[in-house]
Amino acid sequence: MGLWPFRKKSSKEIAKKRLQLVLKYDRAGLPPNAIEEVKNAILNALKDFPFIDASGVSIYVPNEDSEKIEIEIPVKN
Amino acid sequence: MADKVICVTSGKGGVGKSTITGNLATALAAKGYKVVAIDADIGLRNLDLILGLENRIVYDIVHVAEGVCPVEKALVKDKRTKNLHLLPAAQTKDKNAISPEDLVNIVESLREKFDFIFIDSPAGIEEGFKTAVTPADTILVVANPEMASIRDADRVTGLCETMGKPEPKLIVNRLDPKKVAKGDMLDAEDVVQILGLELIGIVPEDKNMVSYINRGEPAVLFEESIAGKALRNVAERLLGKEVPFLNLEYNEGFFEKLKKLFGGD
Repeated sequence: MGLWPFRKKSSKEIAKKRLQLVLKYDRAGLPPNAIEEVKNAILNALKDFPFIDASGVSIYVPNEDSEKIEIEIPVKN
Repeated sequence: MADKVICVTSGKGGVGKSTITGNLATALAAKGYKVVAIDADIGLRNLDLILGLENRIVYDIVHVAEGVCPVEKALVKDKRTKNLHLLPAAQTKDKNAISPEDLVNIVESLREKFDFIFIDSPAGIEEGFKTAVTPADTILVVANPEMASIRDADRVTGLCETMGKPEPKLIVNRLDPKKVAKGDMLDAEDVVQILGLELIGIVPEDKNMVSYINRGEPAVLFEESIAGKALRNVAERLLGKEVPFLNLEYNEGFFEKLKKLFGGD
């Protein structure tokens, strides 16, 4: 670890992150764009609800060991 | 011994399967165990080169499968390492020339006569791989600490599971401690974490490996070889002994430490 917060990520860290994600897809037999498609479908469905901030919707794999994906749907104030 | 038939596989080619098979077989034979190494990479014969036995081949595994000769006649005895035998692959036939049943039959006919039977698997995930894995009690997956190799190792692991085989054990091969220290190579720990397999060996990059192979003399026979030492340790672990992993930490010089402190590469 370097002292500076703006230190570039090492290629080892990047490789690890990429591999963890790619293996999650491989193991589940998912096509690489599967999560993207889920996200688009959800965004489409949310369009009908004006109190939802569609621009803030995020879908992610919470951690490397997790079997689930999480969706965050922000509500407008 | 329950782990008598050991298949070495990897998915990706060129990660060191044959080198590891040849060296583990040699290490165990040098300790007095009766060992046979089967080259199941039909059409791309190479284990003979690693062991320096390429000039002594008369019959090969396809001859045995076709009933041209009995298996004993096809075995090449290593003169240097007593107790070590090679069952060579055919070089001219195609990779599907032997079926899983053929190999199971061959392995069964050798099982009583040997303490260890190694099978050097072809790269890939096709029939040849399945044939090589089918008779195995133990599977060793070789991965280099590098993206494509790790992904392919994971794929092979999944296929072994589908085939109802025990979970493979992992050998991380060609680890370069200097690159790891620089943050430019995954550490063995990372590979273990990503693949979720039991680690049985970490073999460091050894600049002398090519020269051992050039001479047809397995590195495990040389005290001074660091990769040879790591591979002898794997052989010990196959015997059920608990051997600590080699300390492969790279000792950085002062300037390298300083550079790292300031976030440079």
